Amino acid sequence: MSSRERVNPRTRVATHVLLVVTSLTMVAPFLWMALTSFKTDRDIATFPPTWLPSSWRVGNYADALSVAPFDIYFRNSLIISIGHVVLNLVFASLAGFALARYRFRGREVVFLGFVALLMIPTYTKIVPQFLIAKTMPLFGGNDIFGYGGSGWVNTWWGLIIPGAVTPFAVFLFRQFYLSVPHELEDAARIDGLGEWRIWAQIASPLIKPAFVTAGLLTFQDSFNNFLWPLLITTDDNKRVVQLGLSVLKESGEGFTTQWNLLMAGTTMASLPMIVLFLLTQRYFVQGLATTGIK
Amino acid sequence: MTASSEISPALPVEVPPVAPAPGRRRRQASSVRTRVAWAMVAPAGLHALFWIALPVLATFALSVTNYSVLAPLRFVGLDNYTRSFGDPIFLTSIWHTVVYTFFTVPVAMAIAVFFAVLLNQQIRARSWYRAAIFLPQVTATVAVAMVWYQIYDPYSGLANKLLAFLGITGPAWLADPNYALPSVIVMGVWQGIGIKMIIYLAALQNIPEELYEAAELDGANAWQRFRQITLPMLRPATLFVGVVSIIGAFQAFDQVYVLTRGGPANATTMMTYEIYKNAFATFQMGLACAKSVVLFVFLFALTMLNRKLSGGGEDE
Repeated sequence: MSSRERVNPRTRVATHVLLVVTSLTMVAPFLWMALTSFKTDRDIATFPPTWLPSSWRVGNYADALSVAPFDIYFRNSLIISIGHVVLNLVFASLAGFALARYRFRGREVVFLGFVALLMIPTYTKIVPQFLIAKTMPLFGGNDIFGYGGSGWVNTWWGLIIPGAVTPFAVFLFRQFYLSVPHELEDAARIDGLGEWRIWAQIASPLIKPAFVTAGLLTFQDSFNNFLWPLLITTDDNKRVVQLGLSVLKESGEGFTTQWNLLMAGTTMASLPMIVLFLLTQRYFVQGLATTGIK
Repeated sequence: MTASSEISPALPVEVPPVAPAPGRRRRQASSVRTRVAWAMVAPAGLHALFWIALPVLATFALSVTNYSVLAPLRFVGLDNYTRSFGDPIFLTSIWHTVVYTFFTVPVAMAIAVFFAVLLNQQIRARSWYRAAIFLPQVTATVAVAMVWYQIYDPYSGLANKLLAFLGITGPAWLADPNYALPSVIVMGVWQGIGIKMIIYLAALQNIPEELYEAAELDGANAWQRFRQITLPMLRPATLFVGVVSIIGAFQAFDQVYVLTRGGPANATTMMTYEIYKNAFATFQMGLACAKSVVLFVFLFALTMLNRKLSGGGEDE
């Protein structure tokens, strides 16, 4: 924030030049992606290369949609991401509220348990998570012991439930609830409001930024997730956007890549997060700076 | 669920004391509240037990069995571990993971601290620069890897076309065993700068202004102030960023899957990719779990090392 000194104009110009060059370098792959998505096959093969397409071929997007059902992928990605956001905001904030506001036996153990589980790396749990989903009793043709069928594989249950509530969000909410004063809640209790309504109507509205931050980070994690949908889905009706890109990658003859179609798909896959980020930059930056995730 | 969502152990963990509630009415109220509290914690708690704690225990348990979805389960002792460490491809994958981490993390950190300092001034368009540098972090790793897959294409890719301008015939990047791993690393650096810079920016704003004013009075120039004030004051942030980044880098998977599938000739395979192959391509779940435990031990050791370096133990 600080402008400690009166920077001399020459340094200032140099700083801007450096920042512009760096910013362009960081953004260049995205520009290249977007521009390539409008190019014809000939434009892509041409040398010397051109940044801009010689003619803008919007049809690449329609072609990409005909090669792979991106409309279905998008629907699936949104169902899963929004499902994760809703479930995580409700259940993690409830747990965070209880851990911040009530004194009960075992509270410290529960809290430290969440903190310990939040540090577990993905690869220390992913194989059994898949096995649990696959052997979920009485689902997908499984018997009561989890044998015989496919369980939660390729189901909404399997796509949504395992990642629905994150210890990270519980932790984040607890810290936020700790930071707001009790007085309003105590007053509400005297007025006869129940504990659940105190959570919903008094305490939670005070920490709206926490809900926005947790919601955005949950959405980002879910929308960008690749490994779990890769493992748990088996057909196009349940696949998500990030998986759909692999279909486009090998859509050409002999599994070659049609670059313009792949880049059209990639543009579609990354645009929602880019737009969301540019609209809500402040919350992203605050959330990530205070927690250091990613 | 993603590898990227892990959190650092360096966060403060403190449970503030709550005053005991005297009196019978209060006590009745507090027993009601205890029930409510448990009811509120239960969904998230049970979910975490079932989908995180249980799988972790299962990973350790399965690592000493021959479990594959097809054959009946049998206890095999440490066979999976001796097999893993006798397997040159797994040893190579450990090496690649270490090399990938060693190059992506410090390079991206150095770049990040540099731009954090630049952006910590009051300059025009500051938030635009910040957004541009952070953008690769926001988008899905799979999607940006697809873009780099095109950039690295030997014939129509951006990299070789730019090199051709200079009269250089570029290599086949991802298809060339000598260039494949460096290519994956370059993308890792590019993608990793943003979040590190954001954390550094937050840390920079906590450095008291007076330190710089005093140094300036003492005649310290900009470089001296950076060396003697900024860098030392950023030490906690550097440790924090370092550990989080190393843990993240050790779990890199999506970009390997998209760019090279571990090839050519295992030149870019990583521990995560070997675990994935064992578990979901050949269904040797027991073997995959043993390798997961090895990865876990690496990350656990790094976390402990961090606690030690950052003067851990204060919170005991």
